[in-house]
Amino acid sequence: MKGWRLLPGLLALLACLPLAGCWNRVELSDIAIVSATGVDWKDGQWQLSYQVVIPQAISGQSPSADSGAAVNVFSTKGENFRGAISKASLETPRRLFFAHNQIVIIGQEAARKGISTLAEAYLRTPDSRETVSVFLTKGSARRVLEQLIPLEKIPGAAIQQMVFNEELNGSTFQEMTMHKVLENLLGSAQAVGIPSLAITGTGESLDQADKLARTNTPSKVRLLDLGIVSGDKLVGWITKEESSGVMWITDQIKKSTVSFACPDDGENKVSSIRITKASTKLRPQRSGDKWTMHVETRAEGTLLEYNCGGDMMQPKQVDATGQAIAQSIKGTMESGWKAVAKYKSDVLGFGDLIHRKHPGTWKQIKGEWPDLFARMDVKIQVKVRVNSTGMSGNSFKKVQEKARS
Amino acid sequence: MERCRNAAMKKNAQKTLTPLSSSLKANTDAIRSRFGGSFDLVVRLFRSDAAPSRELAIIYIDGIVDAETVNVSVMEPLMSMTLPPHAHTKGTKLLDALRSCIVSVGSVGESATLEEALQAVSDGSCLVLAEGCTSVLTASVNGGEQRSVTIPQTQTVIRGPQYSFVENIRTNISLVRRIIRSSDLHVQMHKIGSQTHTDVAVLYLNGIVDEGVLKEVYRRLADIDIDGVLESGYIEEFIQDETFTLFPTVLNTERPDTVASILLEGRVAIMVDGTPIVLMAPITFFSFFQSPEDYYQRFDIATFIRVIRYAAFIVSILLPGLYIAVTTYHQEMLPTTLLISLAAQREGVPFPGLVEALLMEVTFEVLREAGLRMPRAIGPAISIVGALVLGQSAVQAGIVSAGMVIVVSFTAISNFVMPEFNMGAASRIIRFIFMLMAGMFGFFGLFISVLLMLVHLVSLRSFGVPYMSPMAPGSASQSIFRDVFIRLPWWAMIFRPFELKLRNPRRLPNRRKPAAQRHSDNP
Repeated sequence: MKGWRLLPGLLALLACLPLAGCWNRVELSDIAIVSATGVDWKDGQWQLSYQVVIPQAISGQSPSADSGAAVNVFSTKGENFRGAISKASLETPRRLFFAHNQIVIIGQEAARKGISTLAEAYLRTPDSRETVSVFLTKGSARRVLEQLIPLEKIPGAAIQQMVFNEELNGSTFQEMTMHKVLENLLGSAQAVGIPSLAITGTGESLDQADKLARTNTPSKVRLLDLGIVSGDKLVGWITKEESSGVMWITDQIKKSTVSFACPDDGENKVSSIRITKASTKLRPQRSGDKWTMHVETRAEGTLLEYNCGGDMMQPKQVDATGQAIAQSIKGTMESGWKAVAKYKSDVLGFGDLIHRKHPGTWKQIKGEWPDLFARMDVKIQVKVRVNSTGMSGNSFKKVQEKARS
Repeated sequence: MERCRNAAMKKNAQKTLTPLSSSLKANTDAIRSRFGGSFDLVVRLFRSDAAPSRELAIIYIDGIVDAETVNVSVMEPLMSMTLPPHAHTKGTKLLDALRSCIVSVGSVGESATLEEALQAVSDGSCLVLAEGCTSVLTASVNGGEQRSVTIPQTQTVIRGPQYSFVENIRTNISLVRRIIRSSDLHVQMHKIGSQTHTDVAVLYLNGIVDEGVLKEVYRRLADIDIDGVLESGYIEEFIQDETFTLFPTVLNTERPDTVASILLEGRVAIMVDGTPIVLMAPITFFSFFQSPEDYYQRFDIATFIRVIRYAAFIVSILLPGLYIAVTTYHQEMLPTTLLISLAAQREGVPFPGLVEALLMEVTFEVLREAGLRMPRAIGPAISIVGALVLGQSAVQAGIVSAGMVIVVSFTAISNFVMPEFNMGAASRIIRFIFMLMAGMFGFFGLFISVLLMLVHLVSLRSFGVPYMSPMAPGSASQSIFRDVFIRLPWWAMIFRPFELKLRNPRRLPNRRKPAAQRHSDNP
């Protein structure tokens, strides 16, 4: 009986539910999934480019799914970011959906103008995520977005995979998510290194799906240099070798391959080792108004290639090889340090470290930090242990010689 | 109104008292006229050596008595045997003499009113009347056609007894008695239904069952005032605690071993004549996820399957709702590649996600119902049409997306995992509510509806036992081992369900497993 009396009330409540409408319902067919965004500064305006995924072209049910590019690129311009984005509705039937944006590419002009506008846009709105990977490019960002990438359907996702793969296996560049970029720019040193993309080869644009039908492509998108951003502006570029040195100093090496010269004969780096484990410890030391950074690196690895003489069956030779490798790594690190010092940009996080270890001192020196940083003395010590010589011992040449005699 | 009903009941009670007359003819005529001269009422008048001076009669209904028994145990002795000389045959004593010396049927009673006599005839007894007696003998000779015990149709197991209840309550009780061979198995009979006079039996294990629950069962059964009971579902709706709930609070089964197991746990079983489905109470939500097979299989396998069952239940109520919520409100929650493939499927689908889902779900429900009601021979045709309509054509025609077909099919299959059909039915309705809420408010709506469902679940009781116990009320650590998620090995299951608050909760005297003797230890 009680239940029946409640029923009209319940029905009234139920009837109220649809009144709220369908809240902020968006069907999948009403959104344009943006897989990559490009930022350019052109004619005194921000030019935003979007790489929009065409779902049918990727996993359509129609048999003609394979023809045509899987993405479409277009741009809008505006005085500010969100203003530019809102203009997208003038030329696309669907709402731009940024939650699945994989990468943001910043053109050189835009980066020199300053990326604080971008940071602001990312921090304020919920639908843009800080997990996107940030890249710089020396040319126009839009042009990079237009490139198709072999093996992958969505170029945006492919580029993210590329840097991810590089971080894991090569460790020359680090994947810089928007979160990391903002964290560094808001940190003590306010500087960050961002990997850059370039179109190498003939420079011909790979912007048609049928160009991928060939076995080779005339040009390709690749990771090239590391852009140094200080404050919010791009101040310069360092090469990928120097970038590798930066990675070693900042303890970002996960797995890497290091080429080295034979212990006994000088220059040619004819052998290589796979570094499987590496750690770097930094210890700042003050002497007067000069700072010294003690960098201690330990690495372990397996020989990949060994084109030297010397009997690898002897522990002595193994140690000597280790030292040769350490020498090579040290060289890389020093070149990285020099390159960074040149720009007076603390992308190594030295400032953070000093701030953390000597907070009192940091307050006094933070004003002149960029100069102090550039004048710092960096003492690098590298120890390498060759864990294994792989599946063979001595070099093939040596084995052959032995067999002959 | 209350008074009115009482008055009606009194009137009813008064009406039943019509004493039998001493005239045989008057009695037979009265019975015959009360049956409206029904064709199947057999009235046989005869004279016998047993009482040469008087006329006798037997009355029974053809078809519901065992003709063989009537002939061999009633008719034949009456007609051919004579009473021993010392027997009193004067007046009404004759019937006593017949009962003690002649009628060789196990259960013979005597009734002195017309109504009792009529009831006895309707129940399948054979009346023995004699001239000059104001009462009649009622010899219980029930019989007639009935289905034999077969394998269970709805609750099948791989390992376990392969027989099920039938429509005859006596057979059913005997099936349970054959399992529990103890005088502690008590059976109390009730008659419910002013027209059908259906036998309703309450079974319990004396000494284990909670007296309070038992009393409550009796009270609720006694309160039932209905003209007919055709199936145990009638009784279930009368005795369940809450009417306005989707969740069943009375368990049912067609398996004698299930009944035996719940009796051993200290619960009560209610059998209704005319149906193989037996009711069991009090039960909890988790009883619906315990298949009899859980207790016959190895405990680890049983535990694994039980966890799968809970997962399937959650899938069957939530999956379409989740799918709708994610694809229409929270696209950012999906992995990119999945989102793109879903988006590709949805290209060209004309309906919003909610409509698409409702369309498919309703189609499936229709197909399912059709499959149930169809004559057996047409069954395969339905499944072919269903598979084609649901599976391929709808997707190819671009009416629904392939993802939705997968979701609906997986949901449907999950629904069949539930060992109890009525919980499966509940989950189907809940699923629709969740779908609507997800379609209107996304995850927020889904969350609110799940919350409301849980609030509702903990508010339910089954004969005073909280529906969600031992989980709520109760601690989480307890509930894990209390036969909810984990089926302990038998030697470790020393207690009966705690939520029943039995006075005698111990099932095994101690937790001891017969130690295995190693082969090498043998001399």
